[in-house]
Amino acid sequence: MVHALSEIRRTLKPNGILIDMRPVLDRWQIEVVSTRDSRETGRMQDFPVGLADDEAANQSVAYAAQNGWFTREQEDFFSFTYSWDSPKEMEEWIEEEWEGFIGLDEETKQATRSAWASADADARVQVKVKMLITRWRTTAQNLKAASQS
Amino acid sequence: MTLQSDPERNETKYLHKLADFAQKRILEIGCGEGRLTWQYAKETRSTTAIDLDADALRVATIDRPSDLESKVYFASAKSEQLPFSKETFDSAVLAWSL
Repeated sequence: MVHALSEIRRTLKPNGILIDMRPVLDRWQIEVVSTRDSRETGRMQDFPVGLADDEAANQSVAYAAQNGWFTREQEDFFSFTYSWDSPKEMEEWIEEEWEGFIGLDEETKQATRSAWASADADARVQVKVKMLITRWRTTAQNLKAASQS
Repeated sequence: MTLQSDPERNETKYLHKLADFAQKRILEIGCGEGRLTWQYAKETRSTTAIDLDADALRVATIDRPSDLESKVYFASAKSEQLPFSKETFDSAVLAWSL
C-alpha cells in the first residue's frame, strides 16, 4: 500500500489531489426498512482479516503523511447503503462478497428474518456501510523534500 | 437478486464535496466496472481508470457511453507500478482500493 501511495504521488502534479475513499469496519448496522417504518435488527461481525486490512491502510496513509508525501486537507464519513429484497438475498450476498472479512451471527440473522416477515410488503433489508473519504494534497515542496531524503 | 447500492447517492455527493473534477486529468485506481467513474468522468478533461480485473475492465469498456469514448480510458495496471510519467495527473481517486 505504501508503494501504491508513492507511485500515486509520483504521477500527480505539484499541488495534486488524492481522494482516498474506502469502507471501514465498524460493525455495520442492519435494518429492515419499508416506506412506513425502519427497524435496526443487529450489527455485522467484524472479522480479524478485515480489521487487519483497515489497520494496514491506516498505517500506510499515516506513513505517507509523516514522510511529507501528502498533507491531509479534509476528511468525512458517510453511509453507503446496500439494500436487498429479502434477508435470504442479503445473507447470500454477504457470504459471496464479504466472506472472511465480515459476517452475520445467527441471532442477527433470525432477528432480521423475523422483522422482515412481519414488516410491510415493501420492506427491504439493508446494511449501512461506514465510508471514510479523505482529501490529501501533494505539494512541490513536499515532492522536493521527499526526493532529498 | 435485486441489490440496490447507495440509493441516496451519498458516494457521489461526498466525492464531489471533496474533489473538483472540472477539466482535470484524473487517475482512478480500482475502477472495477466503472460504477464510480461514470459519476464524475463527464466533468473531467480526461479520466484514466485502472484495475487488475480483466473481466471488470471489459464490462467498463462496453458500458462506456459514446460521448465519453474520447476522454475515458481503461487500463490494466498495478497501483504499485503505474505505467504513467511523473506529474501526469491533477487528481487521483483511490476507489475502495487502499
